[in-house]
Amino acid sequence: MDFEFNEQQNMLKTMARDFLSKECTKTKVRELEKDPKGYDPDMWSKMVELGWMGLIFPEQYSGTGADLMELAVLMEEMGKNITPGPFFSTIALCAIPILKFGTETHKAKYLPPIADGKNIWSLALTEHSGRFEASDVNCIAKYDGKYYVINGEKWFVPYAHVADYLLVLCRTESGHKPEDGLTLFIVRTRSRGVKSELIQTIAGDGQCRVKFKNTKVSKRDILGKVGKGWDMVKYIMQRATILKCAEVSGACQAVLEMTTAYAKDRTQFDKPIGSFMAIQHKIVDMLTDVEGLQYLVYYTAWLLSTGGKADMQVSLTKAKANEVYQRICIDGIKVHGAIGFTMDHDIGCYFRRVKAAEYMLGDTDLHLEKVAVGLGL
Amino acid sequence: MDFKFSEKEEMLREEIRKFAKAELAGKDFVSGMEEESRDEDWEFAMQISKKLAQKGWLTMAWPREYGGQGASFFEQHVYIDEAGYWGIPGTTMGISGIGWVGPSLMLFGTEEQKKKYIPLIASGDPDGVWCTAYSEPNAGSDFANIQTRAIKNGDEYILNGQKIWTSCAHRARWCWIAVRTDATVAKKQHGISLLILDMQSPGITIKPILNYAGIHIFNELFFDNVKVPVTNLVGTENRGWYHLMQSLAFERHSMAPQFYGTARRLLEHIVKYTGGIRYHGKSLSADPMVRHKLAERTIELETLKMFGYEITWKMSKGLIPIYEAARNKAYCDLVMQRLATTGTEIIGAYSQVDMWSKWGKVMGHIVRLYMMFPGLEIAAGTDEVQKNIIGQFKLGLPRPY
Repeated sequence: MDFEFNEQQNMLKTMARDFLSKECTKTKVRELEKDPKGYDPDMWSKMVELGWMGLIFPEQYSGTGADLMELAVLMEEMGKNITPGPFFSTIALCAIPILKFGTETHKAKYLPPIADGKNIWSLALTEHSGRFEASDVNCIAKYDGKYYVINGEKWFVPYAHVADYLLVLCRTESGHKPEDGLTLFIVRTRSRGVKSELIQTIAGDGQCRVKFKNTKVSKRDILGKVGKGWDMVKYIMQRATILKCAEVSGACQAVLEMTTAYAKDRTQFDKPIGSFMAIQHKIVDMLTDVEGLQYLVYYTAWLLSTGGKADMQVSLTKAKANEVYQRICIDGIKVHGAIGFTMDHDIGCYFRRVKAAEYMLGDTDLHLEKVAVGLGL
Repeated sequence: MDFKFSEKEEMLREEIRKFAKAELAGKDFVSGMEEESRDEDWEFAMQISKKLAQKGWLTMAWPREYGGQGASFFEQHVYIDEAGYWGIPGTTMGISGIGWVGPSLMLFGTEEQKKKYIPLIASGDPDGVWCTAYSEPNAGSDFANIQTRAIKNGDEYILNGQKIWTSCAHRARWCWIAVRTDATVAKKQHGISLLILDMQSPGITIKPILNYAGIHIFNELFFDNVKVPVTNLVGTENRGWYHLMQSLAFERHSMAPQFYGTARRLLEHIVKYTGGIRYHGKSLSADPMVRHKLAERTIELETLKMFGYEITWKMSKGLIPIYEAARNKAYCDLVMQRLATTGTEIIGAYSQVDMWSKWGKVMGHIVRLYMMFPGLEIAAGTDEVQKNIIGQFKLGLPRPY
């Protein structure tokens, strides 16, 4: 057993920290929250140069063959700094299932442009209910003898407005169970009938409502098998969820760090406020939350990258991430007092993203239920 | 990052499971603090201690010269975790000896002390049972405030004073005691010394204190001119405080893996119980509230597991985890409290049935934990004391008191 990063992981971590602290300042984060694109193409191309897009792709697809653990290390650093942009949607939500379920043609066609930073992707799964349940998928794809024709709408699709491609989960037939008869399509956003509209979110983090009106997709652009879309969603729900948790873990570490520093610095009643037990113990509780989440993320990412059984582990980590991120931000703001309530202070940048992380890939209740199933309940 | 146990560690786990099944057949303990229990339980625990010693497990991480196996910290971790899971009694022999007296003597005992006391503990014999006398009526969380006096007179110390909350004193052959050897110092942390006290010395009175569940764990100790040879001084005279900080960290190290094992077993029992109970025409295990509560408890348990792994890993690297031990102790307490409370909510009205009653649910284990956790939380330092340690040692925040 070893809790240490290996050399490669350490290098990646240092590189990411150095790059992001320089390029992705909180001033930049605030700017991007107001920016119509929601990301900085200049920063994006530098991330491409650093090799982040193709990090986990095999060499033949212009990648460097790293594993999920390394990607988690990178996501953790991105979370610390808050890195706005379609990295998560492109890599975690789309490239990962393409790597696993795509045909050779799919991989050769779609992965190199991702690695080169030319294409942005996103996953269109959630619908009007805002949930991650198969029974809520009503988007229809009907085969007309030549094409599948998609009609319906998707909600909370990250960065769809700047994406080149979407993975769209549609109902192709009605099965016995809601999970049956779902299919995942690769849809070009420039296709006829696709319309993305930005949802005004608290974090200005580029989430969209996407409408499909008689959008035609060829059979070639089905990912995996017809009717087996939910299997892929389950796979995404594992890998992408742990990467989201890694990002949240990084964010929580940053909030703890700024809160501890503030408690040492800020003086009231002639003493640093961190010397008051009520404040000190609150921060200690934050630390225990942060370290617990961090280790669960590492453990789960390790399980997944070594092929271990991890369904319950992923879910308990996500439920923990949801709870911890919210609690850390709220307690952190309380320790800061009024200054923590301002637009000028960085802690708000993290708090604005709590709900987006919580509802991405399943809320706490959904994951607690999965843990209960894992327990044999 | 690598969280795999080695083949050797996994083999040990299998061996312990076999041992538990063979030795505990029909006795399903789950949570055993043997000194709390009745005479017949204590006797059974001591029989198992002897067998554990013969297996070489009782003090496996100690060096061979001290009756150990030179096992790795991870092997010891596996042993503690499994012992907790199966509820193997006798693993701690009243806690003190194995928990911190042995490891502390190896660090700062004299050669003579090491030769005399360490093999006794490792043997699993009743003569290797220790108690620890730290707390006094006016020295609880403010532990440095101890007043029990030891005055040097020739080659003896003469002890006078009182200790309280001394677990296992009524079972112990020896006592690990903190006393004041210098009352003139300006800083109360100075002037404290650690002594080895023979519990058969004349002048010691042991008075039992029953806890609110009617169980005899604690005692009051009174000392009336008790003579202790100066050769029983541990470490340096008047520097006892610094030795104690180390001993206390030893005490808190093994809590996470041990309670993780115990709690995992209890959770399994609770899950099984919910499957057999009808509620609103369905199985209780189908109730969404029950499912969510047990899922929450699982998250806490798995977090505790990681904290246990982390501290063992740090020890294996030769580090001395101070704040980590305090964090694990505080987190253990939280997990214990929540699991016990959830457990009582699941057995409902049966949570008022005594742990020994034939009418009890889940073999009385939930009620036992529920009745014990407030005391266990206070033992080895309250939540507040642990959080002060974490605040200072890890976060670098100023001392609040």
